[in-house]
Amino acid sequence: MFLGRVAGTVWSTVKWPEAKGTKLLLVRPYRLGDLPPGVVAADGAAPSEPTDDLVVCADTLDAGPGDDVIVAFGHAARVAVSEKLPPGSKPMVPIDAAVVAVVDRVEIAR
Amino acid sequence: MIRGTVIGQVWATRKARGLEGQTLLLVAARDADGRATGRLVVASDTLDARAGDDVTVAFGSGARNVLRPGPDNRDLLCDAAIAAIVEGAG
Repeated sequence: MFLGRVAGTVWSTVKWPEAKGTKLLLVRPYRLGDLPPGVVAADGAAPSEPTDDLVVCADTLDAGPGDDVIVAFGHAARVAVSEKLPPGSKPMVPIDAAVVAVVDRVEIAR
Repeated sequence: MIRGTVIGQVWATRKARGLEGQTLLLVAARDADGRATGRLVVASDTLDARAGDDVTVAFGSGARNVLRPGPDNRDLLCDAAIAAIVEGAG
């Protein structure tokens, strides 16, 4: 997983049917140098802007631009967007990154 | 797996159901010489790692096996987990 800030949204009309209705966000990951020591609240008392390359993520938590989020990759991402699946069944959505949390607070000790 | 140093913790109220109850730590990755690479990873912690601890982080199914070993753990929402607290490296 990584910590990042939502930088925008992506939309498309041509896609796999399994991906229909999936909202896509652009998230920029934080790097070590972006985060000052101390407690960082999500309400704008923010760290400096993240500087890494953008990642396209599915979103089911209604995150929006400016939110700090946690993104999971791979199977964990498919689990996150398939919460209504019966136990034991395999999530088949064609995604490999998803927002799994909207961050309230980050505490950095260094 | 990667090696890194725990530098903090992340809190979130609005989150996927599968993430509930997990402690999420921020880990700064380190290279072969022990220098921080700049990459940050958010990892689930079951070992009670603290800020400043040198740790290894496992990804993918390896991470799920940290939380719950065995073949029936594909329902877990976890793609990175602290697998060990490092005492020495040469």
